[in-house]
Amino acid sequence: MSNIYMPYLATIEDMFEEAPGVKTLNLVFKDPKVRESFEFKTGQFGLYSVFGYGESTFCIASPETRKGYIQCTFRRVGRVTTALSELSVGDTIGFRGPYGNWFPVEEWKGKNILFIAGGIGLPPVRSVIWTCLDRREDYGDVTMVYGARTVDDLVYKEELRHWEDRDDLTLIKTVDPGGEKEGWDGEVGFVPTVLEEAGPGAENTVCVICGPPVMIKFSLSVLERLGFRDDDVYTTLENKMKCGVGKCGRCNVGDVYICKEGPVYTAAQIKKMYNDF
Amino acid sequence: MEKSLLKKEALQKLIDGVREKGGRFVAPSILARQVVYREVDCADQMVHDYIVPRNSIKEFLFPQTEPILRFRLMREGVEVEDVRVEPERTVFFGVRPCDAASCGAVRKVFTWDYIDQFYTRREDSSVMMTIACTSSDDECFCTTVGVSPEGKEGADLLLKETVDGDYLVEAVTDRGRAFVEEFKDVFTEPDGAELKAVATPEPIEGVNIDNIIGFLKDRSHYNSEIWAELARKCVGCGACTFTCPTCRCFDMVDEGTYIEGERRKNWDSCQFDSFTLHASGHNPRDTQFKRWRNRFMCKFNFYPVKFSARGCVGCGRCIRVCPVRLDITEVMIEVSEAARDV
Repeated sequence: MSNIYMPYLATIEDMFEEAPGVKTLNLVFKDPKVRESFEFKTGQFGLYSVFGYGESTFCIASPETRKGYIQCTFRRVGRVTTALSELSVGDTIGFRGPYGNWFPVEEWKGKNILFIAGGIGLPPVRSVIWTCLDRREDYGDVTMVYGARTVDDLVYKEELRHWEDRDDLTLIKTVDPGGEKEGWDGEVGFVPTVLEEAGPGAENTVCVICGPPVMIKFSLSVLERLGFRDDDVYTTLENKMKCGVGKCGRCNVGDVYICKEGPVYTAAQIKKMYNDF
Repeated sequence: MEKSLLKKEALQKLIDGVREKGGRFVAPSILARQVVYREVDCADQMVHDYIVPRNSIKEFLFPQTEPILRFRLMREGVEVEDVRVEPERTVFFGVRPCDAASCGAVRKVFTWDYIDQFYTRREDSSVMMTIACTSSDDECFCTTVGVSPEGKEGADLLLKETVDGDYLVEAVTDRGRAFVEEFKDVFTEPDGAELKAVATPEPIEGVNIDNIIGFLKDRSHYNSEIWAELARKCVGCGACTFTCPTCRCFDMVDEGTYIEGERRKNWDSCQFDSFTLHASGHNPRDTQFKRWRNRFMCKFNFYPVKFSARGCVGCGRCIRVCPVRLDITEVMIEVSEAARDV
């Protein structure tokens, strides 16, 4: 395509209310050729547009193993996400991507995986979770720690139940103190605390973490105590983006352009960056 | 013919020739009492006694606002129309060597992996006629950053003024040679005319670009107290970024309604507080000194180290337009000193 800012057109085939203000869209490309040839790697992102309102950046929340559609999950916060959440099934949106790097799931074959997510940080992690679960035999133990502020704020509630029911993985779900309600069968406590209590082993294990900065910060120290090396802890950085292709000058953390060189980094790589978060 | 003469009287013929073939002729000219690069159709509109025009040439290659696609809501869904730039040839006459040198840097960013053809097509269809500087002011500091007032970088043709007000023309690139060939009835044999002296600004004492780059590359200096101190005066108006020939940050916005409209690429500035503001309210560069530090880093670290390009060409525009007189060369001196003290 000669115009790098031209989006593909996609139809909203389905939409789900995940939590208050949080929605998931199932998107199918209008052009059959694109539908056929579109591929991405887990961790990559795109720019989703509502024409007349603009573009917004989110990761692709569906796994690379499922073809024919993509999903995004977003919280309604600004102009574009408000417009997106007011659309209906059958409406057209724009999509540019996939952009950026990805989680090296191929390299993780034979390893255990620990997933840690907080709140709206689950969608990017969920893409990796399903990518690995769809190739379950390639990986060792799979453990997930997921928390949200309240029970209602947990996203992918149905999938959480599904994951709980599976016997080939361990899911620890938690809500912040005060966020529990009647019938809650999970933990009550902040993610880092719950993580430390669970104390998953670090041997032959990689960790994927995404969530609010404060959760990441405290979880990283827990992971360090548990014996995880910074090279084995992966996260995806979010920054404001407009172009997504390294031109517009917005997403850089020091000399690193998140859109092109990221968004996936190890904790070791992040520690080497300029303090520009 | 590697060298030729362009007589002052022949300029109108050159302008006419370029315009007859569908091109535009951009030259220093007076607009609202300021010398600016702008399109001219008449040699009388041009000025010859100028130092550095108020604007840079970037607005002709990377317009302040331009559509990148159009959309319309139809019964079957949204229809999107591609916008393809088919630029006319633009002849830039009287470009200063600093401005010509800036194009290489902007191009590096616009062609880094993904190629922004809105920029490249315009640059590819331009002819850069650089004129060596015969005067300079206190704000000019090209020599401090390694640019020469008679430099050929980015030029297709390098012109030097003769004492009679004509121009000795040297072809630098094939495009320049072809241009002289195309308009051979305008260019004449050089007659050994005497040239005006080139004005070379003295390099600013105490500035060492290698030391600056080295200081910035060391991440431990990112949190140094000097940044807040040096950038305290900045009011965040963004004037430096808009006049800077290598600043190229932009925004992408939809204009119109959801029924019909266009998506545009608009100049933006890393000096604005909303530039990096997340929808969540978090802002990685939440204070002015952090935004100013980012711009300085961009000029003397990201551009030279990451893109092997010039971030600063020493044109001095940011100093001339700054409402609070935050002089980048003073910061360069301070940082050079800080680097020595390390």
